[in-house]
This record gives sequence, structure tokens and C-alpha cells, in this order.
Amino acid sequence: MILDRLAREVEALIFASDGSLSIQELCEYTGSGEDSIHQALDRINKVFLDQQHALTVIEVAGGFRIATDREFGDVVSQLFEGRKPGKLSRAALETMAVIAYSQPCTRAAIESIRGVNCDSAIRTLLERDMIKISGRMETPGRPLLYSTTLVFLEYFGLADLDHLPRFDEIEELLGMSSSEMEERDLFGTGEK
Amino acid sequence: MKELTVLNSSCRIELDAFEGPLDLLLYLLRRDEIDIYDIPVAHVADQFLKYIRRARELDLNVASEYLLMAATLTKMKSKALLPTSRFDGEENIDPGAELRCQLILYRTFREIAEELQRSEEVWTEIFTSPGERERWSTDSFEIEPGQASLLDLLEALNSLSEKEPELPSQKIQRTLLTISECINALEKKIIFGKTISFRDIIGPEPARSRIVSYFITILELIRRGWISCHQAYPFSEIELQRTERWSVDS
Repeated sequence: MILDRLAREVEALIFASDGSLSIQELCEYTGSGEDSIHQALDRINKVFLDQQHALTVIEVAGGFRIATDREFGDVVSQLFEGRKPGKLSRAALETMAVIAYSQPCTRAAIESIRGVNCDSAIRTLLERDMIKISGRMETPGRPLLYSTTLVFLEYFGLADLDHLPRFDEIEELLGMSSSEMEERDLFGTGEK
Repeated sequence: MKELTVLNSSCRIELDAFEGPLDLLLYLLRRDEIDIYDIPVAHVADQFLKYIRRARELDLNVASEYLLMAATLTKMKSKALLPTSRFDGEENIDPGAELRCQLILYRTFREIAEELQRSEEVWTEIFTSPGERERWSTDSFEIEPGQASLLDLLEALNSLSEKEPELPSQKIQRTLLTISECINALEKKIIFGKTISFRDIIGPEPARSRIVSYFITILELIRRGWISCHQAYPFSEIELQRTERWSVDS
């Protein structure tokens, strides 16, 4: 398969850009429609696959990037040794999960769900730019509100917040009062 | 007896392993195969308290969250045991309902956290462009207006205050006491025909420099043969006497 002009333009743009390019930006720079761009992306990935390249074009955090295959994680990691931060603790992951679905949310809201103090987890996530302070809640004490960042989406390879796992189900769950939760018996088949 | 040892060892899965009281409760429910919708409050409360008690016996720090949960469970247990009163106005509220909802919500987020962990696993092995190079560049980069957050400022402030504070420098004035000065002083103290101890020469509570200077002077005087000295045993008093040569030589 030989790539057409548009696909090659898209490939060049993504490769050369210093930030990830959204579908709108790709349309603008190439003067094409979204459908054509998506098809061009498919063709690029097909060539990568057919010719056994170590690369794929993926959509993460609202933009397209060229990504290395997971297979080469160990080799590529060497480039960033000592610079790449370690994995998140369970406390940080749980806190991350709560913030991701109920953002913007206060520390108290996170703690009421986790049932435990979240100070250090929140600090870790702030330091790693996974969350940011997005304002204050206009209630007594004006507590800080936390929201996720683009780094969060990149770190977990999410295209956008709608792609969070079980998004709709949890949105619904969070919107429910406890009595509604009882009635719905949503989790009757859950873990025993 | 066997049951007791099992209990002992299972409690040694210490509280640190749990992400708070809800996590511990979920563990207990799963261990005892209890349906989250049908929690035998008394049983669960007992199990939970056993854990807390054991943790305290092991002298572990039990976080206040655990104690709060223990209190809540105890309250629920006592309510469950009492006959419901028609008059306390709370008979419609199932004491377990709130806890149940809390557990369901927490369990859901714990599952999500596990999913996030799996994504993390995958995505730490994938590198993107643009992405990695920019984020982990070792070169310092210019910060555009609006990029730095309050947290960055605080961090910068912290790193400043963490730097070793410069100690206030202090000039120590050295009092010079030369050997010849000491000899002059001793001229009047060591009198022919009398014995004087080293302790008497340096006086009460002498500065270290004074002891050293006078000791060296004594050695010098002995070398010159101007005085003779006597010490009964190690660390005992050093007694000095003037010889005739002092007057002759000087």
C-alpha cells in the first residue's frame, strides 16, 4: 500500500508538532474534512502495521500522537531513566478515580467516599500534575476544588473524560441518593 | 486454639495493608462471603473490632478513621439488638443503609482504581511523540505566563527555605599567651625553696589555652633546667620547684 498525499501530510504534521494535534487542527492545516482525516489516519496505521513498524497513531488527551508499541517499552524506557516518575500508589489511584468522576470536587467529598484522609494522595497528584486546583466551592470555608488535567489523560492513555471506564454507570451512581441506590439494586450481581 | 492462631495470623495482615476502614470492611465481607445487601451487623462489627483490637495489641497506630468506623458499627450493632421502638422516630431508617451505600460507592471506585492501574501498566510502556520528550526534557524551559500555579510557587518557596541557612559567623578572638609571657609570670610564682603545684599556677577554672600555654612553658623550663618537677603517679598533682640555674641563666 502506498500512502496518498493527505495521509502523508497528516503523518508529517503529527510527527513535527510540538503539541498533540486535534482533529480540528488537522482539518485546518490540510484543508480536509474530519472524515477524510480519520480515513487518512486509518491508512497510516495500516501501513505501520503491514510494514511492522514499531509505531501507531493514537488519540490521547484530545489529540493525535505517534506512539511506540508496548513491546518496546523496556528499550525506550532507557531514554528516560531517572526522569520518568514511578507508579502511583493505591491511595493515589483511588483518589484519582474519585476526582476523575466527580470533578470538580472537594477534599471532603473524596474523603467521604474513600472513608480515609486523602491529604498525601492529593498532594502527590498535584505534584505530578495529574490534578489541579480549579477553584473554590462557594460554601462556608470555601474549600478548594480539584479537577483532572491533560497529564492525567495522557498518563492513563485516555482520549478524553468520556472515555473513562464505566463512565455512564458511575455518573448515574454519583447522582443517586442512598435510597435510590437501594431501590435500583444496581449491584445485586456484584462481588460477593 | 487453632482458630485463635488463624485469627492471629490473619490480623497480622496489618491495617497498613488497607486503604482505610471501608477497605477493611470489604475485605471482611469477602472473606466471610457476606452479601453486601444483607450484612449481619453484629457479626461484622465483632470482626471489625477484633481487627482493631489486635492491631492495637500489636502496638500499631490505629488511624482515627478506623476508630470512627468501629464506633459506628458498635452503634449499629446495639441498635440491631434492641427491639425497635415506635416512638423514637427513627424506625424507618435502616441503620445499615448508609453504610451499605458507602461500601457500594467505595467498592466501585476501588474497581475503577484497579482499572486505572491496568491502564497505567500499559501506558508506562508506551511512548508518544509529541509527549515524553517534551515532558521529561532535562533542559530547563521558559515558563509562560499562566503556566505556573500556586503550587509551583509554594514548591519554589519550600525549596528555598530547605536550603541550608547560613550560620551567623562569629569571630573568635584568640588570646595569645606566649611562652615568654608565661615565663615572666612564673618568675614571681615559682619562688626558690618553695613548692608550687601546676594547678596553682593555672588557677581555678582556667581556659584550655591557658593550660596548654603554661604546660608548654613548664616543659620549656624543665628543658632549660630552670625548674625540677615531681609527680607521684599518673594524673596526680605536678609539683614544681625552682632550681638555682634559673637565676644564673637569666
